[in-house]
Amino acid sequence: MSGDGSAADALAGIRVVECGDFVSSSFAAKQLADLGAEVIKIETPGVGDTARRRGPYAAGVDPERSGLFLYLNTNKHGVAVDLARAEGREILARLARTADLVIHNVAPGAIAELGLDDRQLRAAKPELVVTSISPFGLDGPHRDLRMHDLNLWAAGGVATLNGGGHGSDDMPPLKGFGQQAGYQAGLNAAVASLGALYAALGSGEGQLVEVSIQECLTSILEMAYEFYPYMGLVASRLGMKPIQPLDFLECKDGWIFICCVEEHQWQRFVELAGSPEWATMDLFENRLSRAANWDALQIFLSEYAAEHTVAGLYAKAQARRIPFAPVSTMGDLLGSEHLKTRGFFATLDDGAGGSVVMPGAPYRHGTTPWRIRKRAPRLGEDTDRVLTELGYAAEQVAQLRAAGVVA
Amino acid sequence: MSAAASVKNKPLAGLRVADFTWVWAGPFCSLQLAHLGAEVIRVESASRTCVTRLLPPWPDGQPGPNRSGYFNQYNQGKRSLTLNLKDEQAMEVARDLIRQSDIVVENFAAGVFERMGFGYEACRALKPDVIMIALSGYGATGPDSEYVSYGPAQVPLSGFSSVTGYRGWRPMHIGVSYGDPTAGLQGATAVLAALIHRRRTGAGQFIDLSQWESTMALLPEAILAQTMTGRAPERDGNHDAIWAPHGIYRCAGEDRWVSIVAASDAEWRALAAVIDPALPGDARFATATTRKQNEDDLDTAITAWTVERRPAEVRDRLQAAGVAAFPVMNAKDLHDDPHLGSRDYFVELPHPEVGTRRHMGIPFRLHGTPVEVWRAAPCLGEDTDYVLRDVLGYDAERIAALRSAGALS
Repeated sequence: MSGDGSAADALAGIRVVECGDFVSSSFAAKQLADLGAEVIKIETPGVGDTARRRGPYAAGVDPERSGLFLYLNTNKHGVAVDLARAEGREILARLARTADLVIHNVAPGAIAELGLDDRQLRAAKPELVVTSISPFGLDGPHRDLRMHDLNLWAAGGVATLNGGGHGSDDMPPLKGFGQQAGYQAGLNAAVASLGALYAALGSGEGQLVEVSIQECLTSILEMAYEFYPYMGLVASRLGMKPIQPLDFLECKDGWIFICCVEEHQWQRFVELAGSPEWATMDLFENRLSRAANWDALQIFLSEYAAEHTVAGLYAKAQARRIPFAPVSTMGDLLGSEHLKTRGFFATLDDGAGGSVVMPGAPYRHGTTPWRIRKRAPRLGEDTDRVLTELGYAAEQVAQLRAAGVVA
Repeated sequence: MSAAASVKNKPLAGLRVADFTWVWAGPFCSLQLAHLGAEVIRVESASRTCVTRLLPPWPDGQPGPNRSGYFNQYNQGKRSLTLNLKDEQAMEVARDLIRQSDIVVENFAAGVFERMGFGYEACRALKPDVIMIALSGYGATGPDSEYVSYGPAQVPLSGFSSVTGYRGWRPMHIGVSYGDPTAGLQGATAVLAALIHRRRTGAGQFIDLSQWESTMALLPEAILAQTMTGRAPERDGNHDAIWAPHGIYRCAGEDRWVSIVAASDAEWRALAAVIDPALPGDARFATATTRKQNEDDLDTAITAWTVERRPAEVRDRLQAAGVAAFPVMNAKDLHDDPHLGSRDYFVELPHPEVGTRRHMGIPFRLHGTPVEVWRAAPCLGEDTDYVLRDVLGYDAERIAALRSAGALS
């Protein structure tokens, strides 16, 4: 198909049908599309993906120019097909027979009625991989609960670990910015789907891949969960951290994150700070005692940081191989010489005469590079072409369009 | 079940990973490959052990390199080979391992692995179709490429902290070293794509992953707000830019909370009808726009209802009305969660030093080629003899000589 991966792309020749909404399945399919897979995204006529209504917008609400949609759907083709209608499900079935992977985040209770039952799809094409992303997986007592991203962040055990401290202990557990449950699910779904596709290349057998978003989040709790089965302790944002320093300090002109994981990093920081007397106190002897006595240590470190600029302290620390980091603003990221040199940010056509700068390659393959081949599709942009390729005659397409099955 | 039989049908059965990673990002990448059935051999130093072996939690509070729940969670199903890479004989063992591997994974700061003698060109000379991934903090090129970084520092570096926090308060964290698992998963995706390419062409390749860049891939809304409108979002707690209510509300009990979101008028009306008969008609909350404008009042009204109830009661009553509500789960809640328990998600396998303890399992299920964790995380050097004998084909005499020369420590 035009515009799709050449042999130089890692996933050239792999065809993906995506029936999803908002972040999780869109992000999963974006990763495959950016590596060269041909992705056909199905949206509902007249409605379109939730991300189209989220912005940000450069100039007023416009579902064709929502930044989040443009980002999550790079390199994809778009068709608008109503899967609530039998004729729409027939289009999906025919499309799935041409695909290697169908990926969706339809609620478990609606999968069959929207024509996404994996047994049915695979009966027509045994090599097909069908990936289902859902809040709690395809079985279990919570399967059909209604969940948005914030609810999942809470359900996965991440929310309880953040917030509080510095006089804000009465404040609620705090989410990270954005729809992070969706991104984590998308990351896991890409890994699992590619694993199943790799298996299918060898065996000729596809399969159902099931991703539980709650489980994705419980798998990134670092050591926080294991404190319970190992020591009977329940980790909380209100308790002390296991090791320090790993915290924010205010400099003259902004915030810095000070980070000494290894003892040698702490020792080099003490040297950088001019070997002050407080650094020799027994209270701060090792990373565990520095955590236990963080209230005291924080006062000394805050005084030190307040005498420096963020850039100055960051550069001095890194020159000694101490892993401090600035609290980057969005402007800092866009202005970073390092990221500019690497060409990280991607600029692409927004489909309406403008251009958008967005995050680019998350990894660089030496011979099959991640690349943007085309912008995200307008709603139904490729409907006619895709249906024609599936064998629909022009007048059939016109009838389906008149009946509101496609757009 | 024998190890060989248990991995027979997994997608990456028969592939081997020489795993030179440490801390969390790299081990999380190789964990995905182990989950999918690759034989992952962690090359470890007995004198400079992985940070996570030295961090709590430890049973009974007693430290020990094989006792950390942190290490044992993220190294399930891998093997451990100890090598003293300062010793030339050990270097030759490592080269032999790379010759027998399909994938090499490392996550040192850029340049370190190369200076040890294992750059991509060196690895490719040993195994022409090798796929190698380096997950460094800043990437292999660029003026700051040799800067050092850990996952917790990636949260502020990537921009997350500047847009995460309570309204009017300082920048905050996410609660876990978010850059690490995010990079690890994307690294696994990059490797799997390279494997598919290799299957088609026979060619391996090098993958340069910058944790900084892979973490920014999850922050498009904030970055795009800057590039499209010239203004980054303000820190605003748990609120959403458009939907209200969107929050975490205090419940009855000590530090108990529930998350509630209404993203449409229908969800709002259902929520309002449950908590207060007067609310559905309250003009302040009549439309999405006015709910967003009056969201502090909205939060106050919701809290007045939640604070008298347990999180599970809030969940049950609101979910019955079709409203998205779920308790903020802590470790004990997850441990005892009947839903996760019913899905056989947890992994409980015997371990010689910590016994049989509960770990989080694999968050994806492959129904045709089932994946499961076949063994608990390895003790330090547990598989040294296995690797030398069965993977590299060394005889007992050679292994003994290496050991007495101090190469295997």
